[in-house]
Amino acid sequence: MIRIHVVLAAAVAAALVILLGAPGAYADEPRERVCQPSVEAAVRAALPTATQVRCPVNASEYQIVNGHSELRKDAGMTAEVVLSDGRIATLELAIDDAVRANAARPTGTDQARPTVRSISYAHDDLSGSSGKVMALLFWAFAVISVVGALFVISRRNLIAAVMGMVGSFLGIAAIYMMLYAQFLAVIQMLVYAGAIMVLFVFVVMILNRPEDEPVAPSGRAGQVIGGLAILYLVGRLIIMLTHVEPANPEIAMNAPRPPPAQCIEWQKSDSGALTCTQSETPDWGSIKAVGADLFGPGLFPFEAISILLLLAVVGAIAIARPLREDADGGAGADAHPGGGAV
Amino acid sequence: MSDVIWKIGYGHFLVLAAVLFLIGVAGVLVRRNALIMLMAVELMLNAANVTLLTFSRMWGDLSAHTFALIVIAVAAAEASVGLAIVVAVFRGRRNVEVDRLTTLRH
Repeated sequence: MIRIHVVLAAAVAAALVILLGAPGAYADEPRERVCQPSVEAAVRAALPTATQVRCPVNASEYQIVNGHSELRKDAGMTAEVVLSDGRIATLELAIDDAVRANAARPTGTDQARPTVRSISYAHDDLSGSSGKVMALLFWAFAVISVVGALFVISRRNLIAAVMGMVGSFLGIAAIYMMLYAQFLAVIQMLVYAGAIMVLFVFVVMILNRPEDEPVAPSGRAGQVIGGLAILYLVGRLIIMLTHVEPANPEIAMNAPRPPPAQCIEWQKSDSGALTCTQSETPDWGSIKAVGADLFGPGLFPFEAISILLLLAVVGAIAIARPLREDADGGAGADAHPGGGAV
Repeated sequence: MSDVIWKIGYGHFLVLAAVLFLIGVAGVLVRRNALIMLMAVELMLNAANVTLLTFSRMWGDLSAHTFALIVIAVAAAEASVGLAIVVAVFRGRRNVEVDRLTTLRH
């Protein structure tokens, strides 16, 4: 018993070390900041119907210097604007030295405004609906996942239930792919259809007995109440789904589309107008994009997850290991009354 | 009606997630085997993930992907600890039906 305490103490110590060290460069940065008056004036001049202007802190504005993040000198700025017609526009603003000098001037005086480099609308890429092939694929995978889920809760044979769960998770992975979450689709297949499936199959093999009565026989009254409760749940769900009115119906009825192309290189003509010379489609949902988010704003939950997994490993071993050194895993509860009955 | 079948929108994904979640809830409520209940909980977590990713694509915000990844990791930790408990319970009592685990009742 002494060894498991040593392991637990080591785990807690490692957790503390990671927790104290993790926040690092990103912990004290605000995600949101107040828009400077000059920025807000420039945004409102470009978009007269703007109702609300926000200036989120963009991770690409920062660069890591000597372990600390600093504002990049050449960075632009992004502003998010809610328009009166419900659309959301994202503006890229070029910050030059004249704008930076605003901070030194007193408020109320004439201030230099940043120039608007580009305007993109959040839901412009979503116009139109899906094609028929996508509709067929969606229904195929939706049916696979729902039938697999029904298998899980209806089969008496445990192996059949596990296989239904795997089918359901594969269908859900394909659904992820339709939502442009490629990386998560692959993770879903590796973690669920791979690791968790193996874990469940092993436990089913250890248990190795079919259920006598899969559904609780709590008498006629209990079954009636349970059936009524499920009917009520389903009925409420259907009522809710048919009555819900989205704030922006055009967006809600649209199909998931790949993100729009963004300009990455600008050229300034003699008259001062900016034209786009090179554009690229952002890799939305790829390993690179998810990783940039995971190791940027999501760094703390990421590190916390590592502690959670460590504790889960230690805890699973502590719970499931045989209680005696010579026990082969088949010892009954009467053999050691202290811990056999959990 | 044909619009509902042939024009797939975000609503379809959300309804699918709701249906999967409901099946998971029904599994936890109805079944007595602890293993099946664990699987139903996994189903509910997956349904929540589908909702997260749908809204993520809808609003063009990638941070939900990070959160979905964390949900998957939590689900994996939950499955490992839950299965360890199932094995420990089975070792002591030779069955894993939650109705019969009444030692703590009194």
